[in-house]
Amino acid sequence: MGDIEKLAESVASLQASFEAHRYICSDEIATAVFLAYQLRKPILIEGPPGVGKTELAKTAAEMFALPLIRLQCYEGLDESKAIYEWKYGKQLLYTQVLKEALNEVLGDAKGFRESVQQLHNFGDIFFSEEFLEPRPLMKALKEEDGCILLIDEIDKADHEFESLLLEILSDYQLSIPEIGTIKAAAEPPLVFLTSNNTREISDALKRRCLHLYIPFPDLDIEQRIIGARVPEIPPALQKQLVAFIHELRNLDLKKMPAISETIDWARTLVLLHAEALDPNMVKDTLNVILKFQEDIDNVKSEVPALTAKVSG
Amino acid sequence: MGMDRTISNFIRALRNAEVRVSTAETLDAISAVELVGYSDKAHLKRSLSMVLPKTADEKETFDACFDNFFRFQDVRGDASADANPEQGEQEGEESGEGGDGEGGGAGGDPQMQNKGKKKSKSKAKQNNLYEEEEEADLGPGEIAEANSHLGKLLMSDSRVELAQSMAEAGEATNVREIQIFTQKGLYARRIMDHMGLPDLNREISDLRVDSRVPARRLGQQLKQRRDFLREQVRDYVEQQFMLNADVSGKRLREEMLRSVKLSNVEHRNFRLIQEMVYKMAKKLSTLHSRRRKVFKRGQLNVPKTLRNNMSYDGAIFDLYWKSVKVDRPKVFAICDVSGSVANYARFMLMFLYSMDEVMPKVRSFAFSSDLAEVTELFNRNKIEDAIAKTLHDYSGGSTDYGQALLDFKKLCLDDVDNRTTIIILGDARNNHGEAHAEVLRELYDRSKRVIWLNPEAKLAWNTGDSEMRKYGAYSHQVEECNSLMHLERVVSNLLRQTN
Repeated sequence: MGDIEKLAESVASLQASFEAHRYICSDEIATAVFLAYQLRKPILIEGPPGVGKTELAKTAAEMFALPLIRLQCYEGLDESKAIYEWKYGKQLLYTQVLKEALNEVLGDAKGFRESVQQLHNFGDIFFSEEFLEPRPLMKALKEEDGCILLIDEIDKADHEFESLLLEILSDYQLSIPEIGTIKAAAEPPLVFLTSNNTREISDALKRRCLHLYIPFPDLDIEQRIIGARVPEIPPALQKQLVAFIHELRNLDLKKMPAISETIDWARTLVLLHAEALDPNMVKDTLNVILKFQEDIDNVKSEVPALTAKVSG
Repeated sequence: MGMDRTISNFIRALRNAEVRVSTAETLDAISAVELVGYSDKAHLKRSLSMVLPKTADEKETFDACFDNFFRFQDVRGDASADANPEQGEQEGEESGEGGDGEGGGAGGDPQMQNKGKKKSKSKAKQNNLYEEEEEADLGPGEIAEANSHLGKLLMSDSRVELAQSMAEAGEATNVREIQIFTQKGLYARRIMDHMGLPDLNREISDLRVDSRVPARRLGQQLKQRRDFLREQVRDYVEQQFMLNADVSGKRLREEMLRSVKLSNVEHRNFRLIQEMVYKMAKKLSTLHSRRRKVFKRGQLNVPKTLRNNMSYDGAIFDLYWKSVKVDRPKVFAICDVSGSVANYARFMLMFLYSMDEVMPKVRSFAFSSDLAEVTELFNRNKIEDAIAKTLHDYSGGSTDYGQALLDFKKLCLDDVDNRTTIIILGDARNNHGEAHAEVLRELYDRSKRVIWLNPEAKLAWNTGDSEMRKYGAYSHQVEECNSLMHLERVVSNLLRQTN
């Protein structure tokens, strides 16, 4: 634990450590993690797809050497998938078995009241942790030494699910009617929520979180990201490629190429032994960075001009 | 404590700039500030920008607000910082206290603070305030009692009371209503006057020609303190200006625009209206996107059914279904975009399309004489562009409701079903043409609702060439709709009824 505290002591040390784990982050991102750790607050990360929102949580887990517990959100996700589920099959089975042994259970209980009392003592067992199947959120609370909890793409889940999260986000605890309140272990999880902004997240949830917006990175940072992720890339190509991507982002496209696309493209070009951007090669590999035929068609005619511009 | 004050003043400025900040977030901001301190401003800004603003828009506002607010704080801090850094920090905080009288400084010993403050001040300013007039140094010694109210207050060295009196004067002179930069001097003077400056001035000029040394000594002291007070008042007004100006003006305009007739909205206010429409649409969206129903059909929820029937010894009595999401309203909007009603159409389309989160299935049609579908236009372009294009392309020609209804029938009668809401926006002035109300009747029978929104005042309906009576008969709902307020009500009702 001491290590983590030391790591999270300052923004600069966090940034350096992220870089050591090949995640180049801006001051904003490092500050967000710093605050999240120091203030014990969840971070809600928004931004276009492919800028490294999920990656941030993964890298943080790696860096802090904590287990990563991930909850992927989707429409219809509910508490039985996210928090806990009773092992109802086991419960049913036990009920059946017990039916035979009912007399033994009731023993020599006399009268209705006493029998009910006996059964009552017995019945509570069915709703104990023995029969509880923990799902990601509860698992995260039960991690003794803390963990990174990644709630991915929260915007895909329903509004109700957001409300379900409020308790764990603000108090690091969960209330289960049959058992009571389950509180986090000594070290509460560090929570990352990501959203692609397909819909607005409710104010209640936002209030409980730090809010980090990750935009497309600037030229310098993206260069360094490529350098860290694809170290074998020739320096000239690295420069041109990132500049080219930045030019593309200025165009009116259906889907902007994100960092993940830049990395893929860099890897592709390295495989093709490219030393510098060449218009023909760019045309052939456009489908790595552009995901719509319409975009590809539009950009194709611009490629020579753009390549010349970034090589110049 | 003092630190909290700066931050809470900053939050007040943020709230005024329409960034929503809750109490919980205020507390977070305070802990964040405790953590990062005030020394590294960029770091402070980054940190607070994660705690306070929670949308892209709010972040933008936050940036501007932060730069504004802390630039001002800086100037204040620097004036004394070089004299005594510790003191400097405190003073920086205290510049913010003017707003609430009771706050004056961090408790403790106001006198001590006051002295420290004055010392640092005069050091920084080289005492030039009263040296330039080359007054005789009367040296320390006996000093006369001040007579005027303000004079007494100044001599009492009580910061708390002074601040309180300043705040009261501010209240009395309505400094909160300050609107423009150039009013600062005016308000500062008014506040000084209200605090009793004329009396004080009279006293000072009397004292300065007095023959007794203690009285002249008092005169000097008062003059010095008066000048210091003047500066404080200026700062106070400056602060109030930052907190209140612009915003109250904007709020007033918004309030006015809500009820003004949309056709009278001037072009320069379009942007503001647009903002308001988005805001209202957003509010309605969040209000209605939560409402879902559980239907008694769909897929069986096996785990839940078993679990809930365990109490019946495994025999299944109650069935539980996977809840089915409620249908979003299917809306067809038919807008008259001819000259007289074009502006209403503009804002209604803006409203409908701003709500795509809760109403993804809006199809829109525009007509003046012939009708055409413009849905695609809205899907491909930004709302404003689409509206501009629609108005440009379809607003020519004289209005013909009959033809428009026939066109609509031909175009998509088959798509109209019992979940469809048809909104028609228009004044029903048909230029004495054929009304074709029977088409509307057909739509009325097939659809869930037909809502007719008429921008004209109710009194004018059915006069001249208006066919409102005929059309009204085949509408489920007829509303006068010519302001944002009306529009908001209509859309809200629409969502309520469909859910």
